[in-house]
Amino acid sequence: MTAIELRGVTKEFADVTAVRGLDLTVEEGEVYGFLGPNGAGKSTTIDMVLDLVRPTEGTVRVLDQDATADGVAIRRRTGVLPDGFAVYDRLSGRKHVEFAVRSKEADDDPDALLDRVGLLDDADRKAGGYSKGMRQRLALAMALAGAPDLLILDEPSSGLDPAGAKEMREIVRTEADRGATVFFSSHILEQVEAVCDRVGILREGELVAEDSVEGLREAVGGEETLEIAIGGADGASDAAVDAVHDLDGVSRVDRDGDALVVSCADGAKTRVIGALEDAGVAVADFHTREASLEDLFLAYTEGDAPGGGSEGGGDGADDDGESADDDGDGAADAGTEEVSR
Amino acid sequence: MSLAAIAEKDFQDAVRSRGMLALAALFSLLVAAFAVVVRPGGQGGEQFATELLLRFFVGPFLVTTLVPLVGVVVGYNAVSGERESGSLKLLLSLPHSRADVVFGKVVGRGAALSLAVLTGFLLPGLVLFALAQTGALATFNVGAFLGYTVFAAVLGVVFVAIAVGCSAAAETQRRALIGGVAIYVLFVLLWGAVTGQFLDAASGLIDPLPVSQQRVSVFLRVANPTTGVELLSSAFLGEQLLSGETVNQQISAVSMLVFWTIAPPLLGLWKFDTDDL
Repeated sequence: MTAIELRGVTKEFADVTAVRGLDLTVEEGEVYGFLGPNGAGKSTTIDMVLDLVRPTEGTVRVLDQDATADGVAIRRRTGVLPDGFAVYDRLSGRKHVEFAVRSKEADDDPDALLDRVGLLDDADRKAGGYSKGMRQRLALAMALAGAPDLLILDEPSSGLDPAGAKEMREIVRTEADRGATVFFSSHILEQVEAVCDRVGILREGELVAEDSVEGLREAVGGEETLEIAIGGADGASDAAVDAVHDLDGVSRVDRDGDALVVSCADGAKTRVIGALEDAGVAVADFHTREASLEDLFLAYTEGDAPGGGSEGGGDGADDDGESADDDGDGAADAGTEEVSR
Repeated sequence: MSLAAIAEKDFQDAVRSRGMLALAALFSLLVAAFAVVVRPGGQGGEQFATELLLRFFVGPFLVTTLVPLVGVVVGYNAVSGERESGSLKLLLSLPHSRADVVFGKVVGRGAALSLAVLTGFLLPGLVLFALAQTGALATFNVGAFLGYTVFAAVLGVVFVAIAVGCSAAAETQRRALIGGVAIYVLFVLLWGAVTGQFLDAASGLIDPLPVSQQRVSVFLRVANPTTGVELLSSAFLGEQLLSGETVNQQISAVSMLVFWTIAPPLLGLWKFDTDDL
């Protein structure tokens, strides 16, 4: 049985095609991470799964039922943490959760749900006074009501501090262990890496990659990123950079101030250091880092920049979200090639 | 019982707003002020005319002008406001249909408005009742007063329903607001002029029918919920509710009130149900 099944789904709005011929299958019981930069069509896709938006073409089935015709029945078995939602300012946190429990005809104890998301102490406060993170927790508590078979979380960590994001991941894991299917979207990779069985990457309304986390790692191959600190005021000469670039197994060399950032195959490290020393460059220090999903993500979601950039961290994808340009699939493929060459 | 859950939540939300409190206070003050105006000039023993108070003061100044306005204000942002803020996403992530949302709003907000009207009338009503008990007032017709309050609440609910229907159809708060103003202007200010124009334009169509122009004109007049409630409430005060010579008009008025409570939300839902949110 499939939890979510999209077949040939296209959604055209008046001025833009948000999703294009999307096929997507989420199996029952898996944790599926739905990735993509802002504006890639993630929220539109989730809105179609939730029947907030109707597809222009194609079919959307959720828990083996039609998303539009059986929306109410589907949502009775689904917990949703929407994106860009608002709370009822005048109602307390507890009232919100009571409403969710009643709506799902469940018998959960609202306080137990509030406790699970760490909101019990603020349960009697009006939700209008909650911070962004607390609202997010409140919506999660509402989503967990009725032990849903399917959890749909749209950007669940937005507004949460690192500790909150970690708690969110733990809840996702607990729910998955209970047997629930979890489908969540994100543009932050650490989350996905930590909890997902499978990952799909959306770019400009199309699925450009879909695999397990290990599979995506393999796609990155034995590629490593070597960061070399270079002694001396002059740093590396162009000749030295060229020499490194010409080596077998080296796919890319970037100069970053006093450092060189080299993307190369696993076995090429010593040759790179050797070539630099041969060219008369003093290597002060170097270290390697494993290519991360971040690199792959950037390779898929940006046309021009392959992975291995020096910016690192989770925020790169966010900043670059708008820069995905119009050169179609080719660019993403080129990006992949570049990392795995 | 999805609709009931939404209605209850919306009622709780609405009665917690300061606006509702202010509304009840405003009604109380106005009813009290009118009561002072019509109070007997001399010492006790003179008739205190409950009917006079209601029919000539509370009725035209409070019920048929202010209650529709309040109904529109309470209803116009019911759906469009949630749509614009994003709380509609939270609501529709739960197992509710869009029909549950629209009709749940009509019930919840209608109930909140009724509570405000009842509270607003009952406070001065209690004072008048107490004065009558102590002999400061000769008579106070409790039944007439309470019954009239119910008519005021009914009128409010009808306007809430019309405004919620408009709110469901509107894609933005702005359009909902424009729609709300239009509803008020049409039903409270321009009904006679608009239906008059309609009658003139349609006279050619009406003539061959076995009804007189006069009858159509009367029907159109009571088809306006404010006129309908006015008619019914004065029949009630005259102890001729659904009887006497205006019985046919009264029946028309009742059926039109039912129509206005159901049709606008249905029309709004028809549009809302096909919209991308």
